[in-house]
Amino acid sequence: MEAEAARNAKETLELAFQISNILETGLDRHTLSLLIALLDRGVNPEALAALVRELSPPRQSSCAPIPPVTAPRQP
Amino acid sequence: MDDPQTSALLRELVLRLLPAGSPFSPDAALRYARRLLSSRLLSPSSLPADETSLSDSIKRQLALSGRTSAALAFSDLLHKLSMLSGPGSLRHRPALLLLLKSLSDHPASCVLPSLPLPASKKTAVQSTAGGVGGVLMLSKDPDNIREIALREYSDLAIEDAEIDEQTLVRDVLYAAQGIDGRFVRFDPRSDGYDLPETMRVPRSMRTMVRRLCELGWLFKKVRGFVSENMGQLAAAEVGTVAQAFCSALQDELSDYYKLLAVLESQALNPIPSTGSSSGDLRNYLSLRRLAVWLAEPMVRMRLMAVLVDGCKDLRGGAMAGAIHGHAQHGDPLVQEFMGRLLRRVCSPLFEMVRSWVLEGELEDLFSEFFILSQPVKAESLWREGYRIQTSMLPSFISQTLAQRILRTGKSINFLRVCCEDNGWADAAAEAAAHVGTTTRRGGLGYGETDALEALVVEAAKRIDRHLMDVIHKRYRFKDHCLAIKRYLLLGQGDFVQYLMDIVGPELSGPANTISSFQLAGLLETAIRASNAQYDDRDILDRLKVKMMEHGDGDRGWDVFSLEYDAMVPLDTVFTASVMKKYLRIFNYLWKLKRVEHALIRVWKTMKPNCIASCIFAKEGMGVKVQFVSVLRRCQVLWNEMNHFVTNFQYYIMFEVLEVSWARFSEEMDVTKDMDGLLAAHEKYLSSIMEKSLLGEKSQGIVRTLFALFDLILRFRSHAEMWFERIYELQIRGRGKSRSKAKDEFSKTNSWLEGGRKAMMQLAGEFIQKMGEDLDKIAAEYTSSLAVFISQLPMQQHVDLKFLLFRLDFTEYYSQLYPTK
Repeated sequence: MEAEAARNAKETLELAFQISNILETGLDRHTLSLLIALLDRGVNPEALAALVRELSPPRQSSCAPIPPVTAPRQP
Repeated sequence: MDDPQTSALLRELVLRLLPAGSPFSPDAALRYARRLLSSRLLSPSSLPADETSLSDSIKRQLALSGRTSAALAFSDLLHKLSMLSGPGSLRHRPALLLLLKSLSDHPASCVLPSLPLPASKKTAVQSTAGGVGGVLMLSKDPDNIREIALREYSDLAIEDAEIDEQTLVRDVLYAAQGIDGRFVRFDPRSDGYDLPETMRVPRSMRTMVRRLCELGWLFKKVRGFVSENMGQLAAAEVGTVAQAFCSALQDELSDYYKLLAVLESQALNPIPSTGSSSGDLRNYLSLRRLAVWLAEPMVRMRLMAVLVDGCKDLRGGAMAGAIHGHAQHGDPLVQEFMGRLLRRVCSPLFEMVRSWVLEGELEDLFSEFFILSQPVKAESLWREGYRIQTSMLPSFISQTLAQRILRTGKSINFLRVCCEDNGWADAAAEAAAHVGTTTRRGGLGYGETDALEALVVEAAKRIDRHLMDVIHKRYRFKDHCLAIKRYLLLGQGDFVQYLMDIVGPELSGPANTISSFQLAGLLETAIRASNAQYDDRDILDRLKVKMMEHGDGDRGWDVFSLEYDAMVPLDTVFTASVMKKYLRIFNYLWKLKRVEHALIRVWKTMKPNCIASCIFAKEGMGVKVQFVSVLRRCQVLWNEMNHFVTNFQYYIMFEVLEVSWARFSEEMDVTKDMDGLLAAHEKYLSSIMEKSLLGEKSQGIVRTLFALFDLILRFRSHAEMWFERIYELQIRGRGKSRSKAKDEFSKTNSWLEGGRKAMMQLAGEFIQKMGEDLDKIAAEYTSSLAVFISQLPMQQHVDLKFLLFRLDFTEYYSQLYPTK
């Protein structure tokens, strides 16, 4: 059961990361996993988005996709 | 928030997000994060529960930015995500989507550069960087409040910008077909398409939409015209030219539809957002591109609308003329377009011209042609049957060409109706072959005016020649003219002489006792007796006696006249009014002839050698001298009258009739068409009228002339009376002298002497009376003649001056009555 849950979580994270890439959010896997965890705890997604925007370093071009800030780390 | 696990997660997130070398201390950043998450602006209640709408919105956004493949991948991933279930899977999928969407929205916000989002962000960062963090501080910070307000505004603006350019393009395309779009609607108040006032759209965009929507307005107008006309088609109120016009417009409109269809398919391609370097080079349609695409159709549509306006109340040739007026344009685009249109519009008109010129058919159901036919009798077919309707004459057909077209068709109809001739068909075919135009339909078009002219000229030449042939050869126009001249204008001298001799006694009676049958018989006799009998029977049969309307005191002379029945088709030339003129001339000449005839008759009785000069020889010298002097005066007066009449008649016969005839017959040989012939004849007749003092201007002088004629006739009747008496006296005198000579020893000598004396006295009185009458007539005659001669130089016509020279050759009269 535990293994299945882990596999599910990993798969979910992978899918979410791909979506995130399509949407050009500029998030890396680890950050994303943290965000998902926070969302699961009922944190307001819009507030979280605002926080990420505020804290992440300013982008070079407002419209260009941003390379991940740090190398993806496994959760 | 108070959950320690959450705090730990949050802390880790903050540490992870904070870039190295950031001015924030991790603690401050964490505090800021906590405050942000618990702020009222972002309350959890605003969480959208609807996953579908959220994913749709993301897909639309992806598609809009030209990344359809990304949109496809996205929906695929989303599907997979929703497939996962059970422990470890996502509990709040919508929340994740919302988070990602808000993060990806951020760069998309650069669509609205007017919103100072980056600046607000900066200030927010700086305000927190100032180290004055804290919940209270943030909510009170004016910069932050402004930021929040701005953000709200930007959200609103983004919502408004939902009317993005693509929607507008589609709306404009709808409007261009006269259909109301989602936003762009027809406003009957301002009579045009427009965006609603309430809609917030950049001004430039609004202007462009308005400009493009002019097309829709124009289109509506043109389509309205076409459908209106097509609607009336069943009621048969629309002329062929209008039909052609409508069909040409319809074709133009269908071209236009094609263009719109292409544009519409392109409009489905999303407009790439500014700066997105997706490298997508597919055709897409922005308002500006649309403006370029529609520039040319706009010119055309505008032209069509102008034409529609100009032609609303016109029909037929007038319509073609109006359209032609617009074709005179320097722009090659307009020229080419108008040429195409006009070729279509004019084709029915040219077809009418062709069939009129070559077949004489007037296929004009809607009275559109510039030639109008009127139902008339055969004799006035040429003059009144057809005429040119100037209002229907298009300006590209000149007046002369129109006249020629009219005449050609008229000739054909004349040949067909009046002459019952079919030879014209060959002439027409020959003409068509010569020009190289087929006799089929649609051989001519607009812009080939030269070809049309050539066709018309050729057809006119041949058909006119054929008509002249028929008129001259088959109907012997010249013979009839000559016959009229000989009989009606008294050119055949011996015939006139006989007629005068035979008819004279008959005509002296009152008009109402004369039978025209008897006169017809006498006419026949006169013909038999004169050289006229060798004339053609056909011509002689047409000669008839005509009795004019007569009043109470009219004598036969006043009402008698000859008539010539010209019959179809020559009655086109010799119409009733022309014959009336001939009648007037005949009556005039007849009177002149009668006066001359009367004078000559008188001479027979008063010739000096007819009167025995010695009748009163033996008797009293006084009476004899008196008689001789009266006789002499009488002869002098006669001579004067004779001089006048002879010269006048000479003038009429040789200077008027023959000269006019010579000119007429010359022109008759030269002229090539019916109109020319008519004109020549008209000229002939009017020159006779004018020169023989029958014109309008010579009414005064002709009255004097008639007075002179009356005086001469009075002189004649008096002279006849006088000489009757003289003969009577002569016979009695001779009888007396003879009886006296035989019966010398008669006892009744004294009685005889007495009777003789009485007779001499009677003769004396008579001669006295005669002398007085003669003097009276002579005085009147002299004064009338003086008036006539003084009036003569005032006549306009130059030939009349020669009459004066002739009458006054020895300048006797000019010396007698010196000009005042």
